[in-house]
Amino acid sequence: MKKLIALLLTGTMVFSMTACGSKDEPATAPAEEQSGETAETESGAAEDAASGDAAAADITLWTYPVGSFGDAATVDGFVAAFNEKYPDIHVTVEYLDYTSGDDQVTAAIEAGTTPDIVLEGPERLVSNWGAKGKMVSLEDLWDEEALADISATSEAVVAACKAPDGNYYEYPFVMTTHTMAINYELFEAADALQYINEDRTWTTENFEKALQALVDYGQTNTGVVYCGGQGGDQGTRALAMNLYSAQFTNAEHTEWTMNSEAGVKGLQQLKDWADAGLLAFDAGIQAADELQLFANGTLAMTFCWNASNQAQYASQTAFTPYAVAFPSDDAVPELAGGIWGFGIFDNGDADKIAAAKTFIEFICDDEVQGLESVKATGFFPVRSSFGNPYEGTEDEERMATFGSFQQWLGDYYNVTLGWAEQRTEWWNLLQRVEQTSDVQAEADLYAETCNAATAAASN
Amino acid sequence: MGNSLKRNRVLVWRETRAAYLFLLPALIFFLGFVIVPMFLCLFYSFFNYTMNDFSFVGLQNYVEMFGDPIFQKALVNTVIIVVVAVPTVTVFSLWVASAIYKMNAFSRAFYRCVFYLPVVTGTVAVSVVWKWMFNKYTGLFNYVLNGIGVIDEQINWLGDERTALACIILILFTTSIGQPIVLYVAALGNVDTTLVEASEVDGATKLQTFWKIKWPSIMPTTLYILIITTINSFQCYALIQLLTSGGPNHATDTIMYYIYYQAFKLNRYGYGNAMGIFLAVVIAIFSLIQFKVTNNGKND
Amino acid sequence: MKAKRKSGYDILVIVVMIILAILMIFPLYWIITGSFKDAAAINAAVPEWFPKNPILENYSRLFEKPALRWLVNTVFMAVMSMALTCITAAMAGYALAKKRFIGQALMFSLFVCAMALPKQVVLIPLLKEMSFLGLHDTLWAVILPTVGWPFGVFLMKQFAEGIPGEMLEAARIDGAGEIKTFTTIVMPMIKPGIGALAIFTFISTWNDYFLQLIMLNASEVLTISLGIAKLQAEMATDYGLIMAGAAVAAVPIVTVFLLFQKYFTQGITLGAVKG
Repeated sequence: MKKLIALLLTGTMVFSMTACGSKDEPATAPAEEQSGETAETESGAAEDAASGDAAAADITLWTYPVGSFGDAATVDGFVAAFNEKYPDIHVTVEYLDYTSGDDQVTAAIEAGTTPDIVLEGPERLVSNWGAKGKMVSLEDLWDEEALADISATSEAVVAACKAPDGNYYEYPFVMTTHTMAINYELFEAADALQYINEDRTWTTENFEKALQALVDYGQTNTGVVYCGGQGGDQGTRALAMNLYSAQFTNAEHTEWTMNSEAGVKGLQQLKDWADAGLLAFDAGIQAADELQLFANGTLAMTFCWNASNQAQYASQTAFTPYAVAFPSDDAVPELAGGIWGFGIFDNGDADKIAAAKTFIEFICDDEVQGLESVKATGFFPVRSSFGNPYEGTEDEERMATFGSFQQWLGDYYNVTLGWAEQRTEWWNLLQRVEQTSDVQAEADLYAETCNAATAAASN
Repeated sequence: MGNSLKRNRVLVWRETRAAYLFLLPALIFFLGFVIVPMFLCLFYSFFNYTMNDFSFVGLQNYVEMFGDPIFQKALVNTVIIVVVAVPTVTVFSLWVASAIYKMNAFSRAFYRCVFYLPVVTGTVAVSVVWKWMFNKYTGLFNYVLNGIGVIDEQINWLGDERTALACIILILFTTSIGQPIVLYVAALGNVDTTLVEASEVDGATKLQTFWKIKWPSIMPTTLYILIITTINSFQCYALIQLLTSGGPNHATDTIMYYIYYQAFKLNRYGYGNAMGIFLAVVIAIFSLIQFKVTNNGKND
Repeated sequence: MKAKRKSGYDILVIVVMIILAILMIFPLYWIITGSFKDAAAINAAVPEWFPKNPILENYSRLFEKPALRWLVNTVFMAVMSMALTCITAAMAGYALAKKRFIGQALMFSLFVCAMALPKQVVLIPLLKEMSFLGLHDTLWAVILPTVGWPFGVFLMKQFAEGIPGEMLEAARIDGAGEIKTFTTIVMPMIKPGIGALAIFTFISTWNDYFLQLIMLNASEVLTISLGIAKLQAEMATDYGLIMAGAAVAAVPIVTVFLLFQKYFTQGITLGAVKG
């Protein structure tokens, strides 16, 4: 029996090998053909154009949909521009989405088929894959000039891209702040605009008055604390922590602190408003659903807004979405940021790593391309020397509005280890807060679970 | 005497060789891509296997599993889904099938198609529609039920602990009854009509005819349907991921979803595999019980 | 036969059937009509039962993406899985049902027990194996495990039980070899079963999402399920595009179902006719 199984197993292996050998071809042939073509047509030009540090290589780039970086037409244009300068580096692009992208990267890491370059933020590049030793340190991209230029915009960006081991695993190029937005006409009709300050901030007290005004006006669906999953959770985090100026983690990013007095007060406040019918929790929806409800006029406000959403939803809404900061007891909000950039997976091939760095440098720092890359995302450059890339474009006004929020950019606590566990615990906490009579106990439980995960991840 | 025994052995060997040659193609795939990974899975379950660690921990994963409150909750939910879905799907599909198998060819084909549609449409797309139907603010159910005056408030179907699991089971039900109905219609159509008529002539009631004549001959179909429905219900996962992420407050967490969460969101492959092995054993036990029960009814 | 008279029970049957039918048809109806609506209409607070201003834009945007490539890949994958499953399962099912051989009980239990194994559980080991074989990121990484899955063998075994032993014995006495017996006696008798298995395999391969997600990355090997899933973004879901994708994806399977469903009318039945 054993012999038989062994025999069959060998048979299987041999069979699948041959199956692979013969049938694998159609799948990979187009790519080969393509690369062959490029090499051929450009081999003449390559001889004189190839710059010293750009050895010929085939590299792959996986992008998460950060603005137009999820769109093939845009990215193909960028790759073409890159190939004009570096014809010997062939870049294949694959597009991830936020629903399944992480699973795909996980699978690729386990299968040993990771891409060379990936485009996302520090919570993935630095504190997940970087911390687990899967990424290449980007020391040489972070030269003195880059460091100074990016530091001039925000020290938080630099800190976010640097792992606790001192290595940089992300080279960023854009950032934004996440805000909330209100239905302007509806607020006007409910006479609630008076509660919003000139600079688009408001106090917790005035926020409550605005909610009351909306309800009095007959708009019972004011806002929804969505907690059906982790999508867009930066909005609910920013809402809960700002109400009484709590800190989400300690300054060293080693402990979760929403069970502090201020944190619990904020959560309790949300619950009290929900109990009074001024606001609702909803464990049935996530940010994408909440945005749909806001866009079709069902809800008076959304807690998940930024420059990119404003552009995306502009054509759909029959009203004016008006971006505002999260309410805060002192009207000085601390907004959650988004930082996006590139990281390189360690595939052990020095040529590919070098080629990947060349590509990243071109996309982020090239005089012409750098601005184009920023504009494609609809966000703001991390380099202060880039100034305002939207000046003189049709987007200038909108971007100026969102630019004004940058001054309230808060700590980038997303790099705290155990981040993935925390994200799940957070929406679970919100679901429990709605039900419980003891918010403190639930918040303690949340902090305890998250801290355990963080401790486990730091070992 | 000795000669015939030898002859007999030769025959058995010949039969055995022929049988394995017939089994060979299936076995290659089966052993290579199911059994081998299954043993790897068992092997990994004794390791703390994560993205950057692979160390032997013995039974640690299994110990942790039984002490994990979310796992326990998920186990209870999974059992509820199975206990509710399997009998309803089986009984309902049999009922629908017996209603339509007597119809003319066209209506039979029509109904068969209708009940097969949710299977055909694909889980991702179907769940997008169901998600909208269950929506608290703009969903179809609240719209209709409010319209006809059954309820006067907006129910948060998927966001309420009391209704969420029931909603999941309802969707699971609609996507599960297609295949059983198709099989039952075929099986009922093949019951020997002379036997049925004879028993009716003998004055048997419809119910008696059903139990005495039809039921025994559709038994193998029932067995197959019971087993696949049990397995599918135990493995309910995609609906959870697409609709509730296991919420609210773990009310819809299933073991399968929790395995996915541990393995792919937290990269704890070893722990996920331990739960997977546990689930496989549970399902195997369930299937074997069904086998024993239905086979006894058939053979004795 | 019987006098046509509608009893209370018959009326109840009709009413319940109609309600059920609506519940079954509605999602597909909503997907198809939704694919002709613009974002505002899909997202409207009051449901728009039928597209007032039907548009084709969702489809034109869908085919700007390599949707045809996705379809071709998916068809290749589903047809290969279907063909290989039917052949291997028919042979194995026949052997398990009609042969008496050493290790038979063990083999059958192995197949049945393995059915209990959730596919997602073996994903990580399967992934390791596929990358070891160099098959990760090819369509074969999805096809091979699908064929190996023991459902087909079990189903075909149940069908093959129905072949009367006398017919096989008669063939043997006529001097027919094993292969001839299989092709001339067994195959025709279990053809309806193969038809059913073909449909089940085709549809489950077509709709399976997670195995494809884990095994396939490169855009050359993307399938329609993956393609549709990629149309969703974190902050905005383009329902029009998704519904157009789902409608396009449903067309081939409905076709396959209609083509093969004639097998269901040819008197398939599972298991032995007791004798």
